[in-house]
Amino acid sequence: MRGAYRVIAYLIALGVLSQAAAVAGGWFGTINEIDDGTVITEDYEGNLGHAMHWIVGMNIMPLLGLILFIIAFFVKLPGAVKWAGFTFLAIIVQIALAFISFGVPAIGALHGINAFVVLGLALYTARSVASGVAPEPVHGTGTPAAV
Amino acid sequence: MAATGAPLLVVVPLAWFWYASLVPSTYSVMDMGYADYGGGPGSSGSSHAGHDMSGVSVAELTGPQDGTPAMTATLTTRQGTVKLAGGERVDGYTLNGSSPGPRLVATEGDLVEITLVNANVQGGVTLHWHGIDVPNAEDGVAGVTQDAVPAGGQHVYRFVLPHAGTYWYHSHQVSHEQVRHGLFGTFVVEPHDSIGRPAPATDVVAAVHTYDGIRTVNGRAGLSRVEAEPGSTARVRVVNTDNGTAPIWVSGAAYRVAAVDGYDVNGPSLVRGRKLMLAAGGRADLELVVPGGGARVDVGGAAMVLGPPGARVRAAPEPSKELDLLTYGQAGHLPFDPDQAVRRFDYDIGRRPGFLDGRPGFWWTINGHMFPDIPMYVVDEGDIVRMTIKNSSGDLHPMHLHGHHAVVLSRNGAQATGSPWWIDSLLVEDGETYEIAFVADNPGIWMDHCHNLPHAAEGLLAHLAYNGVSEPFQVGRAVGEAHNHPE
Repeated sequence: MRGAYRVIAYLIALGVLSQAAAVAGGWFGTINEIDDGTVITEDYEGNLGHAMHWIVGMNIMPLLGLILFIIAFFVKLPGAVKWAGFTFLAIIVQIALAFISFGVPAIGALHGINAFVVLGLALYTARSVASGVAPEPVHGTGTPAAV
Repeated sequence: MAATGAPLLVVVPLAWFWYASLVPSTYSVMDMGYADYGGGPGSSGSSHAGHDMSGVSVAELTGPQDGTPAMTATLTTRQGTVKLAGGERVDGYTLNGSSPGPRLVATEGDLVEITLVNANVQGGVTLHWHGIDVPNAEDGVAGVTQDAVPAGGQHVYRFVLPHAGTYWYHSHQVSHEQVRHGLFGTFVVEPHDSIGRPAPATDVVAAVHTYDGIRTVNGRAGLSRVEAEPGSTARVRVVNTDNGTAPIWVSGAAYRVAAVDGYDVNGPSLVRGRKLMLAAGGRADLELVVPGGGARVDVGGAAMVLGPPGARVRAAPEPSKELDLLTYGQAGHLPFDPDQAVRRFDYDIGRRPGFLDGRPGFWWTINGHMFPDIPMYVVDEGDIVRMTIKNSSGDLHPMHLHGHHAVVLSRNGAQATGSPWWIDSLLVEDGETYEIAFVADNPGIWMDHCHNLPHAAEGLLAHLAYNGVSEPFQVGRAVGEAHNHPE
């Protein structure tokens, strides 16, 4: 179960990288399309990058987060549920920030920053089982303990 | 036990919300949601049965079945490659071989007969006469007013044109996909008393549509040219067939907005340096006197130039100021008194997370409810109805009521002071509240939805139902390979 827990957590981290790549590629693609004469309106459907960002972000990431959270209960390591819970929560927050940003674009900056929160939490969660003991953050330094 | 019990606390409610959101594969729109009587008859007391379903069927509410039509047309739909006016090729749909389809022209009061032939569109098609207040059975909404016409099938629409103006037609079967990819055309209804009013020397339609990122006017990308005599009057009937708002502005001349959504504006003044934001599905007839050097009507990403041959008109930048139709033109007489309203409806648009037919996401809500648990606005024939449309959803919505024209009473509490502003497609921006009023004078079951068509497919769609009208059609029902899916 710990192996599955670790793999899912790493998959979430990988998902963040894939999301960053997809959205950056998508918008550079759009800029290129504009150069070729495409007119961007409400009817613009985006390209493969946008489609991937949408599908992975709306389906795969929350599903991975949910599975991680469920598995955490069977890992039987102190802190496993807590860190899986934080990771899942950060993914939900990420989706919420995205939808708020359609109406309030400035919030989109937080969507970008929160991606690093998801990444950090996922890596921390994965490494916590690799060491066999879920580490607690070292109080006072504000950074997770090196493992 | 704790280890297995705790995850169940997360999974079971999620599974329940998912399961509860599933929509049957086949259903009547009359079985959706709950009846909203707007404080009118039926609100309380004995009518637990809700909407009175006895009486006339939607299918019987046709136009005249006898009589010789003044105009007949056959529109044949095909799926495949669309060749645009400029030669570009895109995947999509055509009517009689082209997109936009043929421009239909007839006169107010005419009986028209239009035969829809579906050559090969596998998903089925219908034709909805956007803005023309036809009898219910002619409205062309799959699963609500007819069954989708399967490939190889046909359907005849017969109705009398009730009002002159600029309209359009489009499929209302899988409309978010079919309209975007070209299954539409325009419909101009000329007044029968035009002898009394001099017709403009130039009278053209400018249908705005985006095909795969190619912004077009009448299917032509970039600049369209229309020859027009300097000094003469030109009418440009702009039709927004897209899902987004179209900014309309004129370079080289001042303009008047002569009509909105097919209805004349009373005493329109000259407009300079302002753009008109045209709702998706909406129409605006602009009138201008053609200057010696020509005039240019921009629609955002494409434009039409009117003038002598070879006229070159420098495009003015898009004005930042908008023309406000709430105060435009001169006040006029309303044919009914909105203060006599017997029903007052709320159409509050919001957004929240949840499952829509099993799909997780942030979905539109109407009065706090998510599709299909949405209000059915119930009226009696002859009712004066007020509706307050409030948008706090974070996005803008072009709201389209079928079968009726409504007049705008106020926006954000500010009363309308201009010409009576009649609409069938009203742009409601985020944070805005509009109050509209109409007379329930066209019995049937009518869609009242967002004309950003993907939004309708995401659940921003309600209905207006008349007491005593029954619904024989079903969403999801299959005729051949075509399943009724109006959105």
